Amino acid sequence: MGDKKNRFRRKLRTFLNFIKHLLIAAAAMILCAILLSSVVVIDGKKYVLNTSDAQAAYEDSALFNTFYGRSVADIIRFCVISSQFETDGKFDGQKIIDITAYNYRNSVLPEQYVTAGYYLEDLLKWYKYGVEKSDEYMTYQELASFLADKTMVTTIDPNSQYYNTSDAHYLKSDMDNYTFVDSVSANMLPSNDYGGYYDETEGNIKVNVLINRYKSVEGKNIEAYTADLQNYYVLCDNLELAMNNLDYNYNEYVNFKMLYASGNTNVRYCIEKTVDGKTQYYTNMEDAPSFNKLRDEYKNGFRYIYYSPSEMIYESNTSIDEDTVNGIIKTYDYAYPEDTKIWIGVDTSYPADDVLAQGREGYQNYLPHSWQWGCVVVGAVILYLLLFVYLTINAGREIDDEGKVYTRLTDFDKMPTEITAAVLAALVAVILIGGNIVNEIYMHDDNIRLGYVKNSYLVLTLAGLAVFVTDVVFGALYYSIVRRIKAGVLWQNSYMRKLARICKKSAADAYKNSNIIVKAWLPYMLFVGCNLLGAAAIRGRDEIFLFIFVFAIDIVIGAMFYGDMRERQEIIKGIERICDGDLSYQIDRTKMHGDNKALAEAVNSIRNAIKNAVEVSMKDERMKTELITNVSHDIKTPLTSIINYVDLIKREDSDNERIRGYIKVLDDKSQRLKQLIDDLVEASKISSGNISLNFEKINLTELINQTIGEFSEKFDQKGLNIVLSVNAANAVIEADSRSIWRVMENLFNNVYKYALERTRVYISINNTEKGVEPVVGSVELTIKNISATELNCDPAELTERFIRGDESRTTEGSGLGLSIAKSLTEAQHGTFEIQLDGDLFKVILTFPVTDRVMDQTEN
Amino acid sequence: MANILVCDDDKEIVDAIEIYLLQEGYQVFKAYDGEQAIKILKENTIHLLIIDVMMPKLDGIHATLKIREYSSIPIIILSAKSEDSDKILGLNIGADDYVTKPFNPLELVARVKSNIRRYTKLNNLNTENNALFKVGGLCIDDDTKEVSVDGETVKLTPIEYNILLLLVKNCGRVFSIDQIYESIWNEEAIGADNTVAVHIRHIREKIEINPKEPRYLKVVWGVGYKIEKQ
Repeated sequence: MGDKKNRFRRKLRTFLNFIKHLLIAAAAMILCAILLSSVVVIDGKKYVLNTSDAQAAYEDSALFNTFYGRSVADIIRFCVISSQFETDGKFDGQKIIDITAYNYRNSVLPEQYVTAGYYLEDLLKWYKYGVEKSDEYMTYQELASFLADKTMVTTIDPNSQYYNTSDAHYLKSDMDNYTFVDSVSANMLPSNDYGGYYDETEGNIKVNVLINRYKSVEGKNIEAYTADLQNYYVLCDNLELAMNNLDYNYNEYVNFKMLYASGNTNVRYCIEKTVDGKTQYYTNMEDAPSFNKLRDEYKNGFRYIYYSPSEMIYESNTSIDEDTVNGIIKTYDYAYPEDTKIWIGVDTSYPADDVLAQGREGYQNYLPHSWQWGCVVVGAVILYLLLFVYLTINAGREIDDEGKVYTRLTDFDKMPTEITAAVLAALVAVILIGGNIVNEIYMHDDNIRLGYVKNSYLVLTLAGLAVFVTDVVFGALYYSIVRRIKAGVLWQNSYMRKLARICKKSAADAYKNSNIIVKAWLPYMLFVGCNLLGAAAIRGRDEIFLFIFVFAIDIVIGAMFYGDMRERQEIIKGIERICDGDLSYQIDRTKMHGDNKALAEAVNSIRNAIKNAVEVSMKDERMKTELITNVSHDIKTPLTSIINYVDLIKREDSDNERIRGYIKVLDDKSQRLKQLIDDLVEASKISSGNISLNFEKINLTELINQTIGEFSEKFDQKGLNIVLSVNAANAVIEADSRSIWRVMENLFNNVYKYALERTRVYISINNTEKGVEPVVGSVELTIKNISATELNCDPAELTERFIRGDESRTTEGSGLGLSIAKSLTEAQHGTFEIQLDGDLFKVILTFPVTDRVMDQTEN
Repeated sequence: MANILVCDDDKEIVDAIEIYLLQEGYQVFKAYDGEQAIKILKENTIHLLIIDVMMPKLDGIHATLKIREYSSIPIIILSAKSEDSDKILGLNIGADDYVTKPFNPLELVARVKSNIRRYTKLNNLNTENNALFKVGGLCIDDDTKEVSVDGETVKLTPIEYNILLLLVKNCGRVFSIDQIYESIWNEEAIGADNTVAVHIRHIREKIEINPKEPRYLKVVWGVGYKIEKQ
């Protein structure tokens, strides 16, 4: 029954676990899909898709706008650069570059300037090789001959329309038409300043000479254009800067040319501008259509802008407005005259695979309802967590036939904990490291990123599978750990436990087997050493942690010392109790350690030995008593018949004197036998401690009076005269009523039997302060009589069993009387003493009196 | 006369007891174990049972228990077991008297007589008299100054009578020698005196069957004397 239920529970758990794996895998897949489809990655750049235009056509999206806008800017710049390198639409290496004017292309030219013309390809090649300079020391004469006689100064014609305007731009206008060149001697320069480079007195001038790799268009070296050093340097700087810019622009030119070649891009452009009456035309369209045709025919199937500032026309079916385009053109103001016409369109049939086409692909892959899917992910994760908690609580939970809940362990759970933990840790490490590697690759390898995007289904499947497998393995290990904790075997099955036990055991063994010097001094030296270290640490500045450490060790040692003393206290207590006769006391040694444990064990075994010995002897005594009692029963039965039939014979009136004498003997002896048996049983009972005493307050004076009353007749027969003297203020003792009577009875019988006839018997009761301990005052009872026979034995012998005053052995009495009296007296905390002085027989009993204070407390 | 059943596994003891009882005029039935005793009890009208404890088949204690289920006749246990605990056990399970072996035949006969008297006569005694004090079989009529034990009149001296009356009136209470002396002699008891003790012994000898094992007037050693409540 329970088995069946448990099997069902197990199956349910397996099913839920599987559901859980599916949930997390699905969540991972959806999350991946959302992440992948909300981002388009093109050429290593991430473009986050805007949710708001998810429904719009690609061409109206911000993504398209970004790409298109960039293309527009690129093409406008491309045209500018093209004009620097092309003549009539072709690259022209022989193009002459006026280096100073080129450098001033973004700003206004000065009225006068020094320049030189170089061929474009010479400049490009020169920069590729590198510009070299060397320091040379020249005399004034050498410098004069090194430089030209006259400086060639270009001046803007003050009469030209461009004079003092911002339109005097290179590339924008035909500069030759409004400038002229003068040869000016050095000292005629408006600024006749040699800048400290020239010093006649020194004789040597340091000159940084540019090494001419190529000559100018005129076949001159650069130094041939200037007569003074300052202008030389300016010219050299201009040459270098021009080369630098041209090189940069040339690279861009080549790049753009490739990028915006008609086969590589979906962007089409036509730009027309007129410079100095010459119309320049830039396009990547094969047939170079006219703008009217463009505006009419390419309206459909294209997204485009058309911009003609001179005509005040701006047309576009994109979201890019005139200001944007104008802003871009303004940047290259110098290259774009007023009568410029720009048409830039995108072929929306996307024949080429460019960024726009890729963007479109990514855009079309965009997952709609992404936030709804996000909710699904969150829901799945919450469900996953709920299942996780449920399965954690119920892991391994089974109920046996008696309804008791227990944790069922699988074989896997019985593996050592460390191995499981290591596998779990390794798995976590693999997940972390793997994730990190994937992340690194994803972040830094463009191709893989592009590949991922392109094969998103594969990516999703892989992600789902990875998460699923990870969750399966993680779950198996995790629940195993949970089951172990529940079953309480996590620690039990671990190697660490074994190690700890071995350590503990070996430490204990080492301590146990080490000699006393090591035991005593090693811990002490450690303690002292630690404290010295601590003292040193306090002297040091900031060793507070060491100090705390030492202090903690001191506390631990103190606690150990305390524990040790406490254990010893326990042992001492146990020994005391055993000494006091509590033989059932056992010292609890389970919590003891080291030597104390051994000591406690020893004490316990000594106690056991004593207890056994006492028990054996008690048992022996009891058996003896039992034996005597049983034998006495068996003797009494025939004795009964003897006594009865002797009595019957006595009743038959016999005239025969002799027979009557015999019968008297039979009668006496049978009565004596009876007495003997009773005394025997009593004596054995007392000696085996088999009597129960019921202590109460007894007035000794009252007792003596009662006893005298009982014996008065008997004593009268023998003419014994009792002289009683009571001198005790307090004669109340603690005793058992019947037992104390037995003592008195035996003593008085003794007197009756052995006292000389017609003598006096002296009985006195006195308070004494000596004798019984503790001395709380005691009462002494003395009985003195004159023995009828000679007493020639030791007084101590009289209280031995079966000893009687010699000759009287054959007369009545068992000889146990005094022995019983003595035993009973001692059992009632009294002392019993016999003194013999000639024929004077003296018995002295001493009992502690009950204290008045005790009386009151008892009441 | 009364029928007495004597039960003991020792035939000689039974025979001896029979002799004593026959002399007193009782009719005697004999049994040698508990089962026989029960059988005889059922078949005959028995007025008193003397039974031994240690017997084969059914011992005296168990036999007594069985008999007490349907009969209230006086039962005297006669046993070699003389321990206090044995006596207490015997009396507790329903025996009226306990006599230890070896016994004094006269004492046994006295006890038999006493028990039978109590069983047959005392139950019908008139107790309406205010001057009548009764403790078990002990009866004091203060009007006639007569004392009887189990219907037998006992002769006491005036002092003995007064002491007994004091104790019977205050049945259960322990009186010390001094207290008794002061209330009887109306004098202050100065010093120890054993007069009272001697009188008490005399009373015991008169009213008790065995003065050493008194049934009524008990000695509380070292404290005083009392009449035991029955």
